[in-house]
Amino acid sequence: MLRPLSLIMSIRGKTAIVGIGETPTDRLGSKPGEPRKSSAEYLAWAMHLAFEDAGLSLKDFQGQGLGVTIPTAYPQPFWPEEVAEILGITPGLLLGGATGGAGAVSLLGGMAAAINSGLIDIALVIGAAAPFSEHWGGGIQPGDMRDWEIPYGTMGPNSKIAMVMRRYMHQYGATLDHLGKIAVTGRYHASLNPLAYLRKPITVQDYKESRLVADPVRLLDCVMPANGGRAYILASAERAKTLRKQPVYLNGFGERSNPSYGPRAGSDALVMGVKDAGRVAMEMAGVKHSEINFLQLYDDYIIVVYLQIEDLGFCAKGDVGYYERTDFTFKGQLPIQTGGGMINCGQPSTAGGTLHVLEAVRQLRGEGGDRQVPNAKIGLVSGLGVLPYGKNLGCCAVAVLGNEI
Amino acid sequence: MAEGTLKKPLPAITTEAKPFWDAAAQNKLVMQRCKDCNAWVWTPRPSCNECGSERLEWTQMSGKGEIYSFTVIRQVVGRAASKAFEPDIPYVIAWVDLDEGPRLITNIVACPAEAVKLGMKVSVVFEQQSPEIWLPKFRPSV
Repeated sequence: MLRPLSLIMSIRGKTAIVGIGETPTDRLGSKPGEPRKSSAEYLAWAMHLAFEDAGLSLKDFQGQGLGVTIPTAYPQPFWPEEVAEILGITPGLLLGGATGGAGAVSLLGGMAAAINSGLIDIALVIGAAAPFSEHWGGGIQPGDMRDWEIPYGTMGPNSKIAMVMRRYMHQYGATLDHLGKIAVTGRYHASLNPLAYLRKPITVQDYKESRLVADPVRLLDCVMPANGGRAYILASAERAKTLRKQPVYLNGFGERSNPSYGPRAGSDALVMGVKDAGRVAMEMAGVKHSEINFLQLYDDYIIVVYLQIEDLGFCAKGDVGYYERTDFTFKGQLPIQTGGGMINCGQPSTAGGTLHVLEAVRQLRGEGGDRQVPNAKIGLVSGLGVLPYGKNLGCCAVAVLGNEI
Repeated sequence: MAEGTLKKPLPAITTEAKPFWDAAAQNKLVMQRCKDCNAWVWTPRPSCNECGSERLEWTQMSGKGEIYSFTVIRQVVGRAASKAFEPDIPYVIAWVDLDEGPRLITNIVACPAEAVKLGMKVSVVFEQQSPEIWLPKFRPSV
């Protein structure tokens, strides 16, 4: 397959993930007097888990890269610097995740570029939030949401995704059975993942009978907010070879934020920016769809997972038959969400999306336990963030990871 | 929230959007259009998304369109949500595609939630929220 020279000469295989840290998630702090942790504690916990995994310590990160996902509720813009202070790191490059829930995947690209340039050799990318135990408050910020959505009584992302879901089902004939299959597969994988929060298997019937939140979005369509922290460590490929774990290489990366401008005439709210981001990432990695062993897809809602599978090109748009005949479990033709995804592991604000990077690393190391994808060599991870006015998700990043360059 | 009557959140009248709200108070729906490339520009902003031109002109719209999609709100959830909407439940939020093209988020009013359909033809009505703010909403066209 011929690829543009710019992609061949890019960051392909120049960096690898060498450590991961994932705290358990919880919902402590919703009741008065309940024991609780702060986001600072989840940050430190996730960092130490990643250090332990990689065999590194704080001194390895002085003058190096620090990337921080920024929780949505945090009321001031200096959070990444505050995280450096909390953790005791003096970064040589401090980057904040500007793409909401896509932050951790976007930062793979940003940090890989910085490492490849020689500016830094290693980077810690970290995020945490404790929406149940901390109440930062903060009013409604200026912007489209304040002026053109909230006055109509929109209820956050639920309202907008509900409109995407209804339109999709109307236009392409997908049913609750098709969507339910995605929900059931995720929960099945969660039942095999000791770190998952929701682990009791469900049926398509359970999905269909779950409470309507924003018609047609139901409770089992939605991600669950949680307290928790997540981190990974990215190093140059040379450095990675000297460390204790099998390197998981970043072989492809693509990002498309604000994939269309404004709600233009005839704008198709059913096509996501992952279409372009995924194409670039796969071209950079030089992989075909048939070579990808699993997908870890950003999952704030079931319909969002569903749309990404077709927008990434695993089937034609609206090919509901593909969803009927494909086994998406870890033993199937196209394993997805092999740890249960964010929907079952919880969403600590924008640190939620980091989960998919961590699960991909486990699978590519062969650390998937009871849910290990057989012979996993190449995996695709997506990150999505921000639901702008009148459109589908606005920030889209895709990474292709592999246990070989 | 214990204090007094709950008020629904209102939009801020930003400088770039002031002509929109001035027109809405006259029950007219206006949007910006680029004088160079003819693209509609929505929501209000200083320059054209498509070509970057700053030569934008406020233009009166037909106020007619159709429902691209909608949701029925059945409970107040989320950080940014206001309990002031609770008495309205169930209510309909829709994406309406105007005949001219642009898509807006709005409410469908004067129609029971069960009767709202995709593709339904709708027309603008203005509901006064404050001395300055009249919100454009849509009802089924007759």
